[in-house]
Amino acid sequence: MVSKTTDTSRITEQEVWSILEKVKDPEVPVLSIIDLGVLRGVQLDASGKLTITITPTYSGCPAMDTISMDIRLKLMEYGIREVQIIQQLSPAWTTDWMTEGGKKKLRAYGIAPPNPKQQVCHQELFATEAIQCPHCNSWHTELISQFGSTACKALYRCTDCREAFDYFKCH
Amino acid sequence: MLQTITKDTGNSGLSSPFRGTGGFILHLADSALVLGQRNAEWTAHGPVLEQDIAITNIALDLIGQARNFFAYAAQAYNESKDAGKASFNNLLPRPWIAFNRELQEDDLAFLRDERQYLNLLLCELPKGDWAFTILRQYLFSAYQLPLFQQLAQGSDQQLAAIAAKGIKEVTYHLRWSAEWVIRLGDGTEESNRRINKALTELWPYTAELFEPSQIELDAAASGIPIRLEEVQVSWQNHIHRVFGEAGLTVPTNKPFQKGGKAGIHTEHMGHLLAEMQYLQRTYPNQQW
Amino acid sequence: MLVHYLENTFQQKIDAETRIEPKDWMPDKYRQTLIRQISQHAHSEIVGMLPEGAWISRAPSLKRKQILLAKVQDEAGHGLYLYSAAETLGISRDEMIAQLHSGKAKYSSIFNYPTLTWADMGAIGWLVDGAAIMNQVPLCRTSYGPYSRAMIRVCKEESFHQRQGFESLLVLCQGSAEQKAMAQDALNRWWWPSLMMFGPHDSDSTNSEASMQWKIKRFSNDELRQRFVDMIAEQAKVLGLTLPDPDLKWNEERGHYDFGKINWEEFWQVVGGNGPCNKERLDARKKAWEDGAWVREAAVAHAEKRAARKAAVAA
Repeated sequence: MVSKTTDTSRITEQEVWSILEKVKDPEVPVLSIIDLGVLRGVQLDASGKLTITITPTYSGCPAMDTISMDIRLKLMEYGIREVQIIQQLSPAWTTDWMTEGGKKKLRAYGIAPPNPKQQVCHQELFATEAIQCPHCNSWHTELISQFGSTACKALYRCTDCREAFDYFKCH
Repeated sequence: MLQTITKDTGNSGLSSPFRGTGGFILHLADSALVLGQRNAEWTAHGPVLEQDIAITNIALDLIGQARNFFAYAAQAYNESKDAGKASFNNLLPRPWIAFNRELQEDDLAFLRDERQYLNLLLCELPKGDWAFTILRQYLFSAYQLPLFQQLAQGSDQQLAAIAAKGIKEVTYHLRWSAEWVIRLGDGTEESNRRINKALTELWPYTAELFEPSQIELDAAASGIPIRLEEVQVSWQNHIHRVFGEAGLTVPTNKPFQKGGKAGIHTEHMGHLLAEMQYLQRTYPNQQW
Repeated sequence: MLVHYLENTFQQKIDAETRIEPKDWMPDKYRQTLIRQISQHAHSEIVGMLPEGAWISRAPSLKRKQILLAKVQDEAGHGLYLYSAAETLGISRDEMIAQLHSGKAKYSSIFNYPTLTWADMGAIGWLVDGAAIMNQVPLCRTSYGPYSRAMIRVCKEESFHQRQGFESLLVLCQGSAEQKAMAQDALNRWWWPSLMMFGPHDSDSTNSEASMQWKIKRFSNDELRQRFVDMIAEQAKVLGLTLPDPDLKWNEERGHYDFGKINWEEFWQVVGGNGPCNKERLDARKKAWEDGAWVREAAVAHAEKRAARKAAVAA
């Protein structure tokens, strides 16, 4: 466990990763920024300078500013005040980067996790994809809305248990 | 008549990477911003909740893209040497000069004069009815996707990264708007009448999408891989396919409206800017 | 006899904190109460998009424009969740919308107040969303399954809004004197209406008792209002703003803030349709719905054609 008085001269990159596991997505707080694949890199150079690289999920995602602030606040709890946060656009974020653990947490939270990519992300018009209800596991589901409350989600309905649920879209 | 952008302006070995590309980056930013602004007028007023969300989401994506382009333009300007800066002089927001600080994304987005905006005219037209909004979005997304695909291959890494990031979003926009063009074309008599009316009104503004202006010529000369004639082929192919399914006829008359890329706009633009800029102009140089 | 048995089983489930699911038996009154409450909540999300949506075009920075767009999209998404949750009780979204448009169904009265300056966006996030969360967090444990699960996700997203609203006000309060004055003015106008969001005093509240017994509702209006005042009074200090209530002061004995008298006449006037924007809000919703009729008809017509063609190919 990292003590709360660490400074960057004594901390390791691995320890920074474990601290940042505690930074959550502000709207889906069961996911950490590592689960989500938003945290791309932690770099500590010889002089003790810490650089953290994050990538936005969508160009317009308003959570990025909040996530940057949360990273600073969390590191401050561990006595780390000097940090540079870089927003990197390339390579572009994809739901393939979401960890298996993250997908499990999503399902438990009531959001269907993204399907593996090969199945979807097609350009075909009027296509539908099979999504499993996270509540009763039925595959008898129908699309309500291609866009949900946030850009990354679509809304589905289970025709068996009638639950309306979010699907974290493949991207 | 289209021309290939390979004109050699003899500007290789520039002192600044920004020289020649500044106008083009602003053009990309402005089109995204202005269309985002227009689409957002539907927010809370959409025809059905699902589509209210969809058009709002598209507006959000476009504003996000615009922000990336503006941030890049501002950063490139700040890091440029004098020669690069000089090439951008006539695009600088006038009020910013008195601020005595580095250029920021919002200075570019909110404080230029109307003649300094370089967006496509297509993007600034009032939102019209749902058919007009849908068709405009479709015509734009079908152009933006192949354009971004080209930019993503370029050697300007930041520009390539912004474009690559945008490609996935635009792919969604294109699919969504194409489906709606088909729905309206092949829906009811009323929807067919409305989408045809929208097509008549929008078609003249498609001219400037593919006609290289000075900003694209300059950008191409600086090494940005823009080939508008290829963008046009891709656009035409998509439109033929989707219009075919929608039962719409591709107009044969030659489109003619242009000027946006040279900063010459329609009368609608000033009103859009007055509303968008008012807080920044009333309280200059504040944090929000 | 059978009904009596069913009612007993139902109340036992409630008492044991077992969630009621769509296909379970439930008393008609429970169903009606839920439909009323969930649809009212959904309508509030949809009508609530109007006063904030009006500022998207004027947002003062790209970042704020993004945040506001995303927030209004969130509200639409919540509306959609909630309409879907209400539909599990056997009412259609079209019926619910018709009730909103006819004035039969209510929505939160707070949205009948106008948004006059940019600072109102921050004040709504901080106060209105703050009050909404206070009301809604207990609903995450409400007895009806689809509603409680929807509320868990709604509350997380709403907390993000409240945080953004507070942060946006903080920036104004740390900005120029004009910006801080704008923030104070917004607080002055939104404070009392947000206290009214918790509804009438417990002694005057008509729907509360059965709702408490069925665990649709878990805390009384006055309890929640007090929690809200205690929270906001502290947060206002961080902002350096003054709540517009000369009677507000910490009561050591009670362990709570005392606060002044709410103007209930204003509350009932606004609920009764005489607020500053009641007519505008309802008119805007009706216009959007009427203007969109041809779009919805076209979508249905096309879907039918597509299905018919598919059937023809399959045959």
